[in-house]
Amino acid sequence: MIDHTPAIKQFIVEEFMPDVPVEQLDSDYDLLDGAVIDSLGLLQVIAWIEDTFDLALDDAEIGPDNFRSVEAMQAFIAQSKN
Amino acid sequence: MTVACAVPSLAERVLEHARLRPSAPALISRGRPVDYAELADLVLDARQRLQSLGGQGPIGLLARKSPQAIALILACLLARRPVFVPSPDLAADVLERLFARAGCSHILIPGEPAAEASETAAVPRPGQDGGADVALMLTTSGSTGDPKIVPLALEALDRFTAWAGQHFSITHETTVLSYAPLNFDLCVLDIWTTLSHGGTVALVEHDRATDARHMLELLAAAQVEVVQGVPMLYRLLSDAAGKDDRRVDSVRHVLVTGDSIAPSALAALAALFPRARFHNVYGCTETNDSFVSEIDLRAVAARGEIPIGEPLPGVSALIVAAAGDVVDGPGEGELWVATPFQTAGYADASLNAGKFAPHPQALDGRTYFRTGDTVRRHEDGSITLCGRSDSLVKVRGVRVSTQAVEQALLEHEAVVEVAVLAIPDALAGRRLHAVVRRHEASHLDSLVLRRHCAGRLDRAAVPSQIEIVTHPLPKTPTGKVDRRRSIHNTQRRSAP
Repeated sequence: MIDHTPAIKQFIVEEFMPDVPVEQLDSDYDLLDGAVIDSLGLLQVIAWIEDTFDLALDDAEIGPDNFRSVEAMQAFIAQSKN
Repeated sequence: MTVACAVPSLAERVLEHARLRPSAPALISRGRPVDYAELADLVLDARQRLQSLGGQGPIGLLARKSPQAIALILACLLARRPVFVPSPDLAADVLERLFARAGCSHILIPGEPAAEASETAAVPRPGQDGGADVALMLTTSGSTGDPKIVPLALEALDRFTAWAGQHFSITHETTVLSYAPLNFDLCVLDIWTTLSHGGTVALVEHDRATDARHMLELLAAAQVEVVQGVPMLYRLLSDAAGKDDRRVDSVRHVLVTGDSIAPSALAALAALFPRARFHNVYGCTETNDSFVSEIDLRAVAARGEIPIGEPLPGVSALIVAAAGDVVDGPGEGELWVATPFQTAGYADASLNAGKFAPHPQALDGRTYFRTGDTVRRHEDGSITLCGRSDSLVKVRGVRVSTQAVEQALLEHEAVVEVAVLAIPDALAGRRLHAVVRRHEASHLDSLVLRRHCAGRLDRAAVPSQIEIVTHPLPKTPTGKVDRRRSIHNTQRRSAP
């Protein structure tokens, strides 16, 4: 399984909190509860994952919990690739 | 007092529809129709649950939109117990305070055992208009502090559902999309008006609310005829539809509310819903809808803005100038409205001062709600919105006070000064931009500040952009932070 965690972190930091060093974002940090990603942000994340990982996500069950943390996104991408 | 009404009220009407047309669909939830007989069973089950709890006090409902949650609200209406429906996204301590303020004796979560409220505070005061029974309590954001609780009387709800049903021809044959969360006032039209007339509500559940393809499929599959939403919903739908040139022919009425919609977005909508009439709806949680206007697409293209339209039947609207005079002819001022659907005042009556007032010249006996919106009446008599009188803005349909956001940010110990401004955004309508000056010795970053805001503000009120600086923010001649210059400066600085 390829580890996409660094790429996901890079994207989240650049898009939503450019003032924060990448290494400060923990993989299990709750991005929804922490108000980093809101409903519009969620759309941006989904679009980015679709483009970057060549996934068509409308067939999958997409819920906010799949994007709650970097860890969750990594698991979601890995699972969707199968 | 209202005892036996000649005209059956909302919940009674739903049970009556179940008796007359038990197999007619009441709800469509996750692709499954829930017919009126099944909804009535859920309502009666929920009523039994209420009876087993005992007490007479208000019920707090903590739930996402679902057939069970809808049935619980109807059961409360049936039992004449006020039901308070806050946003489940609020922080736990805020919810606890609100449940206490609403006087809730029990808090219900569908599918879970009832929780006793931790403490009971004042029961909502009976209304000023003859002690109307409180049926439903919603919230609206305050300029500072917690959301304000808005109690609505059953009679006010019934008057609204009667008007809306007639105006948009909602009958037992109509399917209406429900996009807004259950705690939004928009549900009074989407869900409650539709059920009151025996129609079908197609529910967009919380976890599908950003899935435009799903919503387009739902619109087509359920043959939805009426859609109400904020500009962001329409932007999502027309973007997704544009990709593969989709159209939805069943929709007859499209209601735009919550914020002003760009003329270009309207054109895209007209392509998506080729057979629909478009309506601009203006209202507040406190008053429900007060103005509606059918949008003339060509006139909007020529004029570039959409008038708020005509007051609804029974609505009285005034434009009040800064000096307190009523503006009779062309001119600008704050919009005051009195509607047949309005609240008798906030649950916390101490918040009513400055928001509810009699006619400035005592020309009638009505209580007016001061909307905080500045409007302009033009030579031709049409009225357009100029903006919020104070710092109130709508962000994704949620009324947000930029001042409250600034206050929340300032509560962080490392924050020296802040400026928050609502900036027009193509997708969101408006988004909040914050510039925060931190103490030079601190290591404050946006990750920490967002977490700080999450515990204090509605999710829509957390700024989309937070820029942290160490230089002093520009000031106005009176020494206050100059918001526009603060944000303009950082934008210019960060430009490539």
